Amino acid sequence: MTEQEVVDITNKVFEESFEIEKEKLQPQAHIFNDLGLDSIDIVDLVVALQESFGVKIRNEEKVRNIRTLQDIYDFILTIKNEEGRKNS
Amino acid sequence: MQLKRVAITGMGIVSPLGNDVNSFIKGIEAGKSSVCYMEEWAQYIGMNSHVAAPVTLKDEKKIPRQSRRSMGRMSIFAAQASDQALADSGTTLSEVPSRRIGCVIGSTTGSAKSINDAFEIMLPEKDLTRLSSTMFFQCMSHTAAANVAQYLGLTGYIMAPAAACASSLHAIGTGYDLIRLGKQDILLCGGAEELHPTVTGSFDILFATSVKYNNSPQKTPRPFDKERDGLVCGEGSGILVLEEYERALCRNAKIYAEIIGYSTCGSGFHMSQSDKKSMVYCMSEALSNAQIRPDQIDYINAHATGTLQGDKEEACAVKELFGGSVPISSLKGYIGHSMGASGAIELIASLLMMEKGIIYPTLNLDEISPDCEGINHITKPVKKEINTILKNCFAFGGINAALICKKI
Repeated sequence: MTEQEVVDITNKVFEESFEIEKEKLQPQAHIFNDLGLDSIDIVDLVVALQESFGVKIRNEEKVRNIRTLQDIYDFILTIKNEEGRKNS
Repeated sequence: MQLKRVAITGMGIVSPLGNDVNSFIKGIEAGKSSVCYMEEWAQYIGMNSHVAAPVTLKDEKKIPRQSRRSMGRMSIFAAQASDQALADSGTTLSEVPSRRIGCVIGSTTGSAKSINDAFEIMLPEKDLTRLSSTMFFQCMSHTAAANVAQYLGLTGYIMAPAAACASSLHAIGTGYDLIRLGKQDILLCGGAEELHPTVTGSFDILFATSVKYNNSPQKTPRPFDKERDGLVCGEGSGILVLEEYERALCRNAKIYAEIIGYSTCGSGFHMSQSDKKSMVYCMSEALSNAQIRPDQIDYINAHATGTLQGDKEEACAVKELFGGSVPISSLKGYIGHSMGASGAIELIASLLMMEKGIIYPTLNLDEISPDCEGINHITKPVKKEINTILKNCFAFGGINAALICKKI
C-alpha cells in the first residue's frame, strides 16, 4: 500500500465518519484541537480504520500516542509494511 | 401542601404527516393518510403486514455531529420536536434556574435499528471490536431522554418511562406530578419511537397487525370499523412543554391548556389483551383527579389502534363511563400507531382541536363495527367548542393511562 493510498483512505474516514471538510485535513492537523474529535470519537476512529485497512489496532498501545493526521498515516503505514514483510 | 397548577405552553412534532406542528395538523385537516406500502418488508419470512407510516427525516445535520452521533432515528425525532416545543413556548433555558428544567421522554425501547445493527455486527463472529462507541447510547432504553438532555444542556430531572404505547402519556403524567409537587419548573415531556421491521414484527407475530390492506395501504388502520384488521405502525415524536402555571402567567406565555387530571393503572389481567374493567377504572380515576364528571368532557381522543380486541374494549369502556354523548375519535388512521410517541402526538392534535373548535374524525371509519357501537363516533369534521379533553393510551403489559386537559 502506498503512502498516498493511506492518506486518501484515512482522509475519507475523517470526511465520512466525522464530517470534517477536506480542506481541514492537513497532515499536521491535531485530531483533537484542530479537527474536534474527543475520546468517544477515538473508539469510532479505531473501528473505522480497522474496517478501512483490514487491520486490528484496537489493542495497540501506539494508538494512544496518535495526535495528528500524520501520526495516523505513519502508524498505518508501519502496520501495513510489517504485514507485507510477514507475508513475503 | 398546596399543589401547583400545570400549564402546557409549547409543542413540537415530527410525524409521518410532516415534521412540524403546522404541517402535521394540516395533513389531518385534509383527511390525509400517511400509510404506505413497505416494499422491503416482504423479504421477512412470517411478516404479513407490509404497511407502515414512516417519517421523512429532514435537516438532521442541523444537530451538531457531537450531539447527533449518539442519536438513533428516534432520538433525532425527539431532539427536533424538543427544539420546536421550546421555541414555541417562548422561554429560553437561561431564564430557568439551573436544575429546574429537565425532560421526561418515553419510548418502548431504544432505537430499534441501532439494536438490530449492534447485534448484526456483534453476533456473526461474536466480535465486539467492530461496535462503535456510540451504539450503546442509541440502544439504551432512555436514549431519547438522555440525548435531548445532552443536546439542550438540561440539568434538571431526566427520566424515561418505558411503557410501550403508553410511554409518552406516562411521561406527561409524570411531568405533571413533578411540577405539581414543586420539584421542577419546566419539563419537556413526550415520547419518541421509530419504525423497524422488528417493531412491526413484534405485533405481527401476535396477529395484531393489519394484513388485508397491503395493496391499499391508505385504507388501514380502521379504528372502530367493521372491516378493521389490526394496527399499522408509525413513528415520530411529540414533545410538550409543561410549565408551572404561575410562571407561565408571569411571563405572559401562550397557554394551550392546563392539565387537570391524570391516572395510570395496570390491568393485572393479560400481557397483550386490553381490559375494559381497568380502562374504566383508569378513566374514572383521571376524572376524579380532575374533580369533574364524565359529562364535563367535551372530547375523547381514543387510543383505538384498529385491533379487533383493543378497539372493542375501549369502546365498551367509554360507553360504560360516558354513555353515547361525548364525541370520540382516533387519529391512528392518519398517522398509524406511533406507539411510545402516540400519546403525545395525539394529545397535541387534541389541543389544536380545542384551540380551533373542531373535532377531526376517525379516518377509515366507514361502517361502525357492531362491537364498537353505542358511543359518539365522529366520522366527519365537527365544529364544537371544546373546553375539556380526555386522552387515552393503553399499552402492552396491561398498562392504562388517561390524561385530562382544560382550556384556560
